[in-house]
Amino acid sequence: MSSLIDKVKEVAKTLIPVVVLVLIICFTIVDVGTDVLFRFLVGSVLLLIGLTIFLWGVDMAMNPIGEYMSKEVATSKSPVKIAVLGFLLGFLITVAEPDLLILGNQIEEASGGTLSSFLIVYMVSIGVGAMVTLGIFRLLRDRPLNRFMAVTYGIILILGLLVSQEFLAIAFDSSGATTGALTTPFVLALSLGLSNVKGGKYAEENSFGLVGIMSAGPILAVMLLSIISGQKNIHGDAGEYIFQKGVIGPILEAVPHIFIESLVALLPITILFFIYNFTKFKIKKSEMVQIIKGLIFCLLGLVIFLTAVNCGFMDMGRIIGMELAQMSSSLLIGIGFVLGLIVVLVEPAVHVLGSQIEEVTGGYIPINLIRMTLSLGVGTAIALSMVRIVVPEVKLWYFILPGFALAVFLSFKSNPVFVGIAYDAGGVASGPMTATFVLALAQGAATVIDTANVLVDGFGVIAMVATAPVLSIMALGTIFERRKVVELKHSAEETGSVADMPIAVSDFNHDCLIAIVNRGYAGYVVDLAREAGATGATVFHGRGGTDHPTVILPIVNIELMPEKELICLITDIDKSENVADFILKDTELVEKGEVAVYISPTFALIKDFSSDETSTATV
Amino acid sequence: MVKIDTIFFTIVDRGKANAVLRKARECGATSGTILLGEGTVQSKLLDFLGLTETRKEILLIPASDELDTNLHDQISQSFNLSKKNKGIAFSIPFQRRTLNNSSQEHNISIDDERFNHCCIFTIVEKGRGMDCIKAARAAGARGGTLIHGHGAGVPVDSYFHLAIEPQKDTVLIVTRKEKAVPIKMRIYNDLELNKPGNGIIFTLPVSRTSGLFEDKAEDRKGGTS
Repeated sequence: MSSLIDKVKEVAKTLIPVVVLVLIICFTIVDVGTDVLFRFLVGSVLLLIGLTIFLWGVDMAMNPIGEYMSKEVATSKSPVKIAVLGFLLGFLITVAEPDLLILGNQIEEASGGTLSSFLIVYMVSIGVGAMVTLGIFRLLRDRPLNRFMAVTYGIILILGLLVSQEFLAIAFDSSGATTGALTTPFVLALSLGLSNVKGGKYAEENSFGLVGIMSAGPILAVMLLSIISGQKNIHGDAGEYIFQKGVIGPILEAVPHIFIESLVALLPITILFFIYNFTKFKIKKSEMVQIIKGLIFCLLGLVIFLTAVNCGFMDMGRIIGMELAQMSSSLLIGIGFVLGLIVVLVEPAVHVLGSQIEEVTGGYIPINLIRMTLSLGVGTAIALSMVRIVVPEVKLWYFILPGFALAVFLSFKSNPVFVGIAYDAGGVASGPMTATFVLALAQGAATVIDTANVLVDGFGVIAMVATAPVLSIMALGTIFERRKVVELKHSAEETGSVADMPIAVSDFNHDCLIAIVNRGYAGYVVDLAREAGATGATVFHGRGGTDHPTVILPIVNIELMPEKELICLITDIDKSENVADFILKDTELVEKGEVAVYISPTFALIKDFSSDETSTATV
Repeated sequence: MVKIDTIFFTIVDRGKANAVLRKARECGATSGTILLGEGTVQSKLLDFLGLTETRKEILLIPASDELDTNLHDQISQSFNLSKKNKGIAFSIPFQRRTLNNSSQEHNISIDDERFNHCCIFTIVEKGRGMDCIKAARAAGARGGTLIHGHGAGVPVDSYFHLAIEPQKDTVLIVTRKEKAVPIKMRIYNDLELNKPGNGIIFTLPVSRTSGLFEDKAEDRKGGTS
């Protein structure tokens, strides 16, 4: 049972701070009324259950689906096919996103019907499709992400100067709307799958970044739409907000609606996958059962999660926002900051990204550090959003445009793995929690403050949340990069004592060779080993330290360990020494790769496929 | 007593390996490498729900004979390895290869009488690791640890001329020597390793273990197999 408890614990750890803080606010500063308070508590329990089930469904279904689809994409023989499939994937996951439809309706209303929601939904989906395609090509061609994003954001900056204030906000918000609870984990899985299939030296860097690229699509699409249609201003006001009454009633009422939305959002990926499975993959039945179970968990978890957030958290956020804005603006900004710090950690995609980072970097990047940085970024973003609501002179573009310019600059200084993670973090942080709880908080505050417009100031909060983590994680990456440089000088290690033992039984035909090198040198080792007569190898990803002073980040006291690759080779007993010597003779490998080779005789059940050398090589 | 150089393996819950490595450094270890892996759970309910993994870390420390003894004592004490589910540690004789002493000969063997345990490594295609553990369990193994890795690149005929790196699951099973042969045969047959490309299996001798619950598993075997 322990692994189930672990999963619940993991989610609870992120949720409890939010609940505690909100309760403290409720009992000390703001009187929210018993209905809302109880609904919040029920919502918290539901959220815990829902998020746990959802994350586990993502593990079981989304990751394998992403893996199979990416294999299909990467091994296509024609670029047209890659483009079509990439576009289709991007388009389908976006067009079904419930958040996007809501945003479309809001814009239709705000623009007085000039821009129909239909047009917006399709334009944004086409934007995402196009960007996903470009992103896939970038990944497969090994083009550096920082340059790619520099060009993309360059275009966005230029367009940003041409469109109006309001559309700038809407454009950035639409990108937050497309990176919903389902799309982000799927695109993360797709990106991971692609880089796994592709492999190579940049596999790690390539595992991230697709979400970031994807979220640029809607920004470009909406900006272009504004420029082409000549639509500049939005007007109107959000309708009077009605608080729900009762505790259980509203929750039950919301379920069918949310169920249908979630189902619709999940369907396109599922159908596409089943079509491909039927015609191409033909997955084993037991694996299929797992995936179907996973999809059911995804749906179930998502429904419970969204119900909890919509019913339990939205009203709470709005009331807190209203009451605080009445009291004092500095209190509003302060509490906005603290809420931002902790709310982002409940976002489903943050959990998914966290485990992916751990998996990909073999634990090299401590997830807690990423979480802290993400928190700081989002906290600042929300505090600044509150400033924007309180002080009408402060405009959104003061933050957004220079923010992205700075991000582009930092991306050239930062550790390459972090560039992808940072761009992804924007999409990851602006999930359903931000879109409901935080947005409600801001809108609540805006209704009370006279100079603020609920609609205009409401737009733009998500944009801020999507920008700040990009910057903060990029900054972290820059710190990592500098630390790494210091660390590379390393003296040759003392060799282990030589054992002298009589030659024992020689019925072993194979040796097991383990070579440990710095990251990026595994491919090289395998090539050398093959040259020397070894047939195949398996590579593992890990982290490790030698006894030279390890790098410890100040303040947070987190130890950084260099990334390592471990190569396991099974070779014929008479070849193994050759192979080992061949590897050790390579000076570059010894100096830069810090290679260490260990040998042990092994009893291997390997059939000799001497007639079919290549197939053993793959093992 | 002859000295044996080893690699000291520790398998603990995710997040604990750093602390173990710190402790090992105190004992005099110079370097260590940490890999991420997954352990197995034995529960019908969780199996049905698809929750079949617990996240683990595998720590490898190259050690000399004295250090190895020291590590076993110190680490099992500080991390309570003698209690159940706290993790295990074992040592596999390995020799560090350097160019200076290339004349040395192999000097250890699986059949060595001093070694009671051995460690079975199976490398199969990704996704089949669990099948492998199931097969091993059927033959009397208690559990296994799964590590994801990838094989060497194979060029593929596609638009981008990729060298696909096939994803692999590696399964580590530590067991008593007597049980090793049936387990190996069972895995070999169940996973059809006789066919090319399906995977390989090999065994390494284990010189010392801590925290292994082989005997208790024996009693429960009737229920689990």
